[in-house]
Amino acid sequence: MGEAIVITSGKGGVGKTTTTANLGTALALQGKKVCLMDTDIGLRNLDVVLGLENRIIYDLVDVVEGRCKIHQALVKDKRFEDKLYLLPAAQTTDKNAVNPEQMKDLVNELKRDYDYVLIDCPAGIEQGYKNAIAGADKAIVVTTPEISAVRDADRIIGLLEQEEAIDPPKLIINRIRQHLMTKGEALDINEITTHLSIDLLGIVADDESVITSSNKGEPVVMDPSNRAALGYRNIARRILGESVPLMSMDTPKKGVMSKLKSIFAK
Amino acid sequence: MTKKQLISIKGTKEGLVLRLDDQCSYTELLEELVKKVSDEGFEGQAEVLLHLGCRYCNDEQAKEIINCVQQTEHLRVTKIQSDVMTVEECNRRLLENQSETYVGIVRSGQIITAVGDLVVIGDVNPNGRVIAGGNVFVLGRLKGIAHAGANGNRNAVIAASWLEATHLIIDNVIETMTDELTVLSEQPEMECAYLHTNGSIAIDRLQELRLLRPNLSTFKGGS
Repeated sequence: MGEAIVITSGKGGVGKTTTTANLGTALALQGKKVCLMDTDIGLRNLDVVLGLENRIIYDLVDVVEGRCKIHQALVKDKRFEDKLYLLPAAQTTDKNAVNPEQMKDLVNELKRDYDYVLIDCPAGIEQGYKNAIAGADKAIVVTTPEISAVRDADRIIGLLEQEEAIDPPKLIINRIRQHLMTKGEALDINEITTHLSIDLLGIVADDESVITSSNKGEPVVMDPSNRAALGYRNIARRILGESVPLMSMDTPKKGVMSKLKSIFAK
Repeated sequence: MTKKQLISIKGTKEGLVLRLDDQCSYTELLEELVKKVSDEGFEGQAEVLLHLGCRYCNDEQAKEIINCVQQTEHLRVTKIQSDVMTVEECNRRLLENQSETYVGIVRSGQIITAVGDLVVIGDVNPNGRVIAGGNVFVLGRLKGIAHAGANGNRNAVIAASWLEATHLIIDNVIETMTDELTVLSEQPEMECAYLHTNGSIAIDRLQELRLLRPNLSTFKGGS
């Protein structure tokens, strides 16, 4: 029996879908059997980020309404042998096409066959959110170092804490720009964690390659040298129970001249 | 056999006290009251206090009794007293006088209400709201909205380990924390908000609370 983790944020555009795709891929790379579930019915994206868009035949609503079996709707990612699957959302209807009970049954069925079921939650706190968290055992809240994102994260944490079936949520701070934090122009990690006061699961650097790789349909985590990828890989290892220290956000690259300067500055 | 006096009138230093019998029927009492008030040779204006003994009167009955007494222009009822109250009323008063404790963070969109005092052990985050009929005490950072004295208690205070609220409300006076109140941003640690005699909300150090609201302390004994 696997576990279902919902990835949510309240605010849109902070990187829920990217995080879902990358954590799923990272867990699959670690040899776990993972199913990614897109619950953003009507505005699906997860398939695009994973590059599986043109392989969709059936979707989540088809399964719920009995037009196909669950395994018919699952799209296999061939890059990871038999490890990574996607249950895509429907694009033609809206969030009201399914209800939380149906979602719960669906997630429970998937949990039998997979080690991890990652549920990508839509933005907002309405029907789509209620559907997404219905079957989850754990929750990850994604935020960015912006006040608006942190406010919404606070709201969503409050709502998640009221769900008895879900463990206390954990936090991922996404799209960190170190130079803004050191200058004090963006909220720093400490400020965010004391404000939200939940466990920090990991931090991810802001990197342009996240955008380019999303556009190519290859999650950035597949490139082991990338620093955003390292953040996602560390988070995946923490989900698996390893204790991994928080990565440093400082850019270590220093030219020869600046090194010399720092020596003479002493 | 002489009939038992249903109403006795006593003079005290606070004024006249009308003690009404609590064993007879209510209608009997009313009749007697009408008679007594019109009989007695009252002169001038007198203030009276009605004491009902162990009789429970609801609001309408109380009003009826007052009307009866005030039929003569010589009497004015200042107060009605009774030795009994309903369980409901008693519970309400108990709740008003006790403090409720909330442990945890009041997050954005959450509302915590208390009939009496409210003690929050944890932060109140922006857009979180705490409402109390009595005082609000926050053992943590108050960064949201706090409403004290929600039922009209203008003596209620808001005290916090870290007072950085966006809105402070006492009774029906609202204060939005803008830059003008720079005292706040300079030193938000250990502060309290109260309703100043000039009608607006003021903020002071927590140490001043003892002088500002001496009745807040319910501690008895010690030396």
